[in-house]
Amino acid sequence: MRAEALKGHLDGILLAVLEPGPGHGYAIMEALRVRSGGQVDLPTGTVYPALHRLERAGLVQASWSEAGGRRRRVYELTPAGRRALDTERTTWQDFSAAVSALLHPAPAAVTSP
Amino acid sequence: MNRLGTPASVPASVPASVPAPAGERYLAEVTARLPGPASAHSGIVAELRCGLLDATDSHRSAGLAPAQAAEAAIREFGDPGQVADGFRAEIAARHARRVAVILLATGPLVGLLWIGTAAASHLALGLASAWPWTSLPAGLAAGILLVAVAAALTAWAALFGIAMTGRLTRWLPARPRRAPTAAAVAGFGAVGADALGLALLAAEIAAAPGKLSPVLAAAAAAASVARLLLARRAAYRCLALRASLA
Repeated sequence: MRAEALKGHLDGILLAVLEPGPGHGYAIMEALRVRSGGQVDLPTGTVYPALHRLERAGLVQASWSEAGGRRRRVYELTPAGRRALDTERTTWQDFSAAVSALLHPAPAAVTSP
Repeated sequence: MNRLGTPASVPASVPASVPAPAGERYLAEVTARLPGPASAHSGIVAELRCGLLDATDSHRSAGLAPAQAAEAAIREFGDPGQVADGFRAEIAARHARRVAVILLATGPLVGLLWIGTAAASHLALGLASAWPWTSLPAGLAAGILLVAVAAALTAWAALFGIAMTGRLTRWLPARPRRAPTAAAVAGFGAVGADALGLALLAAEIAAAPGKLSPVLAAAAAAASVARLLLARRAAYRCLALRASLA
């Protein structure tokens, strides 16, 4: 899945990846790949500005932490981020249900007069 | 340490602390596309560098030799231009937000100094008794009105810029040029308000020397000059950042 296909949903996806606990940029990218079964494969470099945008929007907070000789910027959901994720889930469920209904109409549903 | 020079027998679990020269070239390509001096982006570079090292480790764990792992990490990170595009929008939004917050916070302070100056010089009393200002010199009345309009424009544009770059970010369509535009409008509004205030002060001094409290007038004038210069610089920088966005 390319970046264009994910447009508008990347924020929600990043929030979902951070839901279980804090993570740094590369760990978030790997979780994204693993959790999507390899379907989501964005250029890793583009995830960083997206995380900075979420930070500016107050949905995640970032802090530097040192581990294994590397200073990493670790991201964590804020309470507002958790609420945004809930909203994102509801919106997605409604949207996907509507699109599914349109793409797979029940044969009896379309009746001609 | 040069990862290209590291023997392939080094276990993948030993993390490198400096990415291969190719990695540094990649980082330089990203920063070259970011506005301002490279030193302003040390945080971004440090984060990306660490990500490249993590990616390189991951590819080495998958069995690649150090040089190939470094190349794979760079491929994985994607086009440096695309990465820089994302950061440029972010840098512009953050700068715009900072400018808007500072303008909104300093506006009332400078305004209070001017009101204090007017009050201490009995100008306020004169203004009150002259209401609805038909008896005021036309120039002074028009000047005060213009200052109020410029101040209101500044406040609205700054509030809009702050709203655009905060929580609302998620709900708004991605229009990265909007926030720097709003901040630039706020900046030029502040320039206008301060310049008009200073012009009115000069006119008052010329018309009625000795009527103004020198300490307060000097403080208000100094605050306005400082704000005018800073707002002008910030507004031009916002315009430059705006122009750098695709």
